[in-house]
Amino acid sequence: MASASALSAHAPARSFRLARPALVVGIGILIFWVVVALTVEFWAPYEPLKIVSRKLQPPSFSHWLGTDALGRDVLIRTFYGAQYSLTIAVIVVAASVTIGSVVGALSGFFGGWPDSILMRLVDITLSFPPVLLAMSIAASLGPGVQNTAIAIVVVWWPVYARLMRGQVLDVLSRDHIEAAVAGGASRTRLLLKHILPLSWTPTIISATMDFGQVVLLAASLSFIGLGAKPPTPEWGSMISEGAAHFYSWWIAFGPGLAILSIGLGCNFIGDTLRDMLDPKDE
Amino acid sequence: MARTLRTHALTLSLACATMLVPASLVTAQAQDKPLVIARDMDINSLDPSRGFCDTCQIVFSSTYARLVNLDKDNKTIVPMLAESWEINADQTKFTFKLNPKAKFSDGSPVEPKDVKWSLERLKNVKGSASYLVDPVKSIETPDAQTVVIDLTESNSEFLSVLTAPFLAIINSDVVAENGGDAGTDAATKDTAEQWLLANSAGAGPFVLSSYSPNQEVRLKRNDNYWGEAPAVSEIIMQQSKGGVSQLQLLEGGTADIAMQVDPTTAKSITNADIVVDTQPSLNMVYVALAPGAKGLPNPMGSKVREAIAHAIDYDGIIDLTVDGKGRRLATPIPEGFPGTGGAEPISYDVEKAKALMAEAGAADGFTIDAMYPNVNQYGVDYTLMMQKIQQDLAEIKIELNLEPVEFSVWRERVNGDGIPLTAVYFAPDFFGTSQYIQYFAMMDGTVWYKRAGAANDPELARPEVAGLLKKALSTGGAESDGYFRELAKGIAEDHIILPILSPDNVFVYRKGLEGLRFSACCNMVLSDISWK
Repeated sequence: MASASALSAHAPARSFRLARPALVVGIGILIFWVVVALTVEFWAPYEPLKIVSRKLQPPSFSHWLGTDALGRDVLIRTFYGAQYSLTIAVIVVAASVTIGSVVGALSGFFGGWPDSILMRLVDITLSFPPVLLAMSIAASLGPGVQNTAIAIVVVWWPVYARLMRGQVLDVLSRDHIEAAVAGGASRTRLLLKHILPLSWTPTIISATMDFGQVVLLAASLSFIGLGAKPPTPEWGSMISEGAAHFYSWWIAFGPGLAILSIGLGCNFIGDTLRDMLDPKDE
Repeated sequence: MARTLRTHALTLSLACATMLVPASLVTAQAQDKPLVIARDMDINSLDPSRGFCDTCQIVFSSTYARLVNLDKDNKTIVPMLAESWEINADQTKFTFKLNPKAKFSDGSPVEPKDVKWSLERLKNVKGSASYLVDPVKSIETPDAQTVVIDLTESNSEFLSVLTAPFLAIINSDVVAENGGDAGTDAATKDTAEQWLLANSAGAGPFVLSSYSPNQEVRLKRNDNYWGEAPAVSEIIMQQSKGGVSQLQLLEGGTADIAMQVDPTTAKSITNADIVVDTQPSLNMVYVALAPGAKGLPNPMGSKVREAIAHAIDYDGIIDLTVDGKGRRLATPIPEGFPGTGGAEPISYDVEKAKALMAEAGAADGFTIDAMYPNVNQYGVDYTLMMQKIQQDLAEIKIELNLEPVEFSVWRERVNGDGIPLTAVYFAPDFFGTSQYIQYFAMMDGTVWYKRAGAANDPELARPEVAGLLKKALSTGGAESDGYFRELAKGIAEDHIILPILSPDNVFVYRKGLEGLRFSACCNMVLSDISWK
């Protein structure tokens, strides 16, 4: 959300219109989950780890999404799950954007051998299928929320490095940069004042859309047993439990819907931002 | 559009006509159609001397014969290749007379040399099942019908050991031609494993017709079978992971038997053409404590272990994991085995557990690592069970740090540094109690003596075990039972091995099939199955 307001400042030519319903829905979904994650502890009627009823009870008035195989409330666990999923996604996206942008900017700006070395590193990482690489890293680090985040950062940052490098190279070739160089701007000033502000738009769009992807990947790792440890109410492991109790559809329904909504919300925001900010679309 | 409708009408009338075929004809045809079994197969080899898995038990017992067999009561030992036998008084010399009618699937007779070759090969390839023939000192073949097995020491349960499918009698001429070797260096010299993945060379009711790893195993009726021919002509075991997908294959008509459907899933079956049959099993799911594990924050003396044993809500676990379709056990040894009967399972008593923790000076509790294999075995979802145990032990302030891992990772850790509290499972290889003592008792050389970390905690050792076991194996009948009872009691009192439950076997199959049963030696006996 901070990015949305910042972006409008950098795109003064385009007015921010509320008539973009997708953006409103996307932001609404994300706000909902952020609020749930931050406040669930204060209003939830049940604890996420406590057995509150008979096992595998279908949805009812007291348990809106039924109970799981141990007798815990699925809806409350889904709400608590937002804490883990959102935290992982924020950490992963922030870390990946930071690492990737620094590497990409330096690589594009300096060129030469630093560029070759850094980009080969990026090539090597990108040449692995991302899910497979994340799986291998998570498997070698062992299960746990922290290790899941590390595994995803390792596979995610090169994308941003590539993006940032391309953008920096593009900006470098523009006339006003030559003018700045002729005007005697130092290299640091050139990078920070003239190049970076013009380069980060695609990164922001990409990060917004990736947010949903990261939630999905973290859940996938948990689904196959490489993510959160039991009894953590993590969405992926809850769906995995639901798959084992196939005929109790409600166990996987809550977390499944949660992942779907976040993925959808992020895509709505990302798509709208791209339409608004990408000059190529004009 | 009109044409499509006509086609549909034709299909429908053809379908109706098929339904009108007389039932007797259907049955006759049914015996000839392949029987498809959906199962998650854990095959590590199809060489009877090297394979060691539950699926191997089924395949080996169908394609190979052993000297003796286990009867349907899962207790009595009955003739198979050997029509009679004699055992000397101190249980060290076993003399078998082979059935002259017995022949291999290629039509050649089963001879004493095949028995000697097979058992020596099993011993010398040094596979996982080789331990079963460790007690064998020598095998003699004095004449064309007799085999004499000499043991290094008394073993009243050796006859039971011979019922295990891994002690399959192999057609030595055929397998030797294909790289088989039974000499002392067979572990490196024998190269028949590859051939045995595509062929069988036994005297069982079926022969192996093909094997595609991770897909299927096909067995065909053995046309040269010397006993009563099996009713079904072909059996296909189809790889299918998980009870839900197996059940879907069954409901969709692809499979006839779903072998690993858990009781909770089985309860949801509404299809009237599907039968759910629950039978007691000999399988055991247990929790194990390792007082000698590295990095333990708090000593786990006998009082703490007893407290843990009292703090687990066993009936609650049986209800949660297998929907009540399981039994409690007093000792790791299944009811009905020598030395069992009469003992009461430990009580679920949180107050007593708290008192014991206080006596041990651990009233404030502690946190321990609980790594366990992330499996669903015998219908028990281990993650579900461990979460329940985590909640139970929280009542006595023991916090479990659950860590589900792959089986290979678990095995490395449990045999290395040890795991303070873990859970795993056990199924017997034959009808007998000695295998439990040799696996679980606190005696140097057993698997759990090492895993419990007895080397770091000398208090764990029970010096009397070795002597009692020797007595149990050199005597017979009630006397032997008495020694086994004493040994079993010792294992229960150690509270190192905490038997949680014996989950029932759930057979889910198409209506019209009969003869499905669980066998203590052979898992499921395929030759007993037929269409009504």
